[in-house]
Amino acid sequence: MEADELLMLVAGGDHRAFERLYVLVSGPVFGLVRRVVRDTAQAEEVSQEVLLELWRSAPRFDPGRGSALSWVLTLAHRRAVDRVRSARAAGEREQREALRSGGTPFDQVSEEVEAGLEREWVRRCLGRLTALQRQSVTLAYYDGYTYREVAERLSLPLGTVKTRMRDGLTRLRECLGGAA
Amino acid sequence: MSLLGRLLRREDPHSLAAPYALDALEPAERVRFERHLARCERCAAEVRALTEDAVRLAWSAAAAPPAALRERVLAAVRATPQEQPAREHTPQLPPHVWGGQPPPRRNRAPRPRPLLVPFATTTAAAALVVASLFAVQADHTQDRLNAERDRSREIAHVLAAPDARSATGHDDRGRSIGVIASVSEGRAVVTLRGYGALPNGRVHQLWLMRPGAQPRSLGLFGRDTPLVAAGLDRSATSLAVTVEPDGGSPRPTSQPVVQLALESVGFGE
Repeated sequence: MEADELLMLVAGGDHRAFERLYVLVSGPVFGLVRRVVRDTAQAEEVSQEVLLELWRSAPRFDPGRGSALSWVLTLAHRRAVDRVRSARAAGEREQREALRSGGTPFDQVSEEVEAGLEREWVRRCLGRLTALQRQSVTLAYYDGYTYREVAERLSLPLGTVKTRMRDGLTRLRECLGGAA
Repeated sequence: MSLLGRLLRREDPHSLAAPYALDALEPAERVRFERHLARCERCAAEVRALTEDAVRLAWSAAAAPPAALRERVLAAVRATPQEQPAREHTPQLPPHVWGGQPPPRRNRAPRPRPLLVPFATTTAAAALVVASLFAVQADHTQDRLNAERDRSREIAHVLAAPDARSATGHDDRGRSIGVIASVSEGRAVVTLRGYGALPNGRVHQLWLMRPGAQPRSLGLFGRDTPLVAAGLDRSATSLAVTVEPDGGSPRPTSQPVVQLALESVGFGE
């Protein structure tokens, strides 16, 4: 059964459907959160919050607004980003120094996660973006920086960063379209 | 110029679609953009598409979570009621005929979704039981915990029974009733969550429903404290909760606020 169908059952309070949905989404949720927060213990904590939230708010899921998977991964991403930003705010001074000393390579943690076909395609497609498109997208998505922070890190005007993000995602879509 | 226009006058709000899809807006900006999104179909369509792209980046990071996460999540889920859908505010339960008839098996209202969705485990899963009790007790003051000490032995007795099984049901307002019951003990531990405090002079009363018999009182709930119901025989088909005057009533005087079928925990023969 697909995630969308399962989520509809979960919305009706079906615990067994939730267990099956867990099998489908827990890996992507946990992997994404860990990639953003870069700490396994914190990633577990945030993932648990996200998966419980999935259960709690399933009755509010509106299939007209997107797929179940993008709904839960969007939720997971937002929680992970909130977590990493508050951690950064706590260590803001260190962060300012890190900003001055230069950027982090975009794929710093990618070697610690398992290889997979989807990952290979995404990696290949990211490689086809321009450097600025790639950095704009990955600094925001995998590292949790706001577009203002990305602009600061890359010494680019805000408008340019917004455009690079949009172009980057659009090119990614075109490239991944051939892999689906 | 509208307030939104003034707030966003420095930039075309459409240009925020990609940063929004990447969660790269600051909180205040996010709120402003979502307000705009609600009225801009073009933006909503673009955000949908860009979000799907961003999700491809998420998939590529997938990694196997620790096995312990599953148990923790499932235990938490069993102790957590769901939210109600935002769009509807229908009465929480269909009309119910009291008296000699067992409660209807199926919801009579013309809604596809059942109001009460029982779930049972076949074994007494200690983690789940502890989690649900902890969730209940965490709300309590120390005094209340002390007051519960006597009863905790009784509760432990039910939980320790080899045939102890659990079920929960919730209504469409996210409130729930939980039961851990043992046929061999003839006892059940029943919890209510989300029903809040009643006005002075009113109390939640628990009833046992059996075919061809009047509802039998199983006791009164003290706020959200678990109630231990004794003397259940196999013919028990369901539990029901009503709001009654202080001290309880010999017979229910109002419609049930929630019911739970006992079939999935081994009763109802």
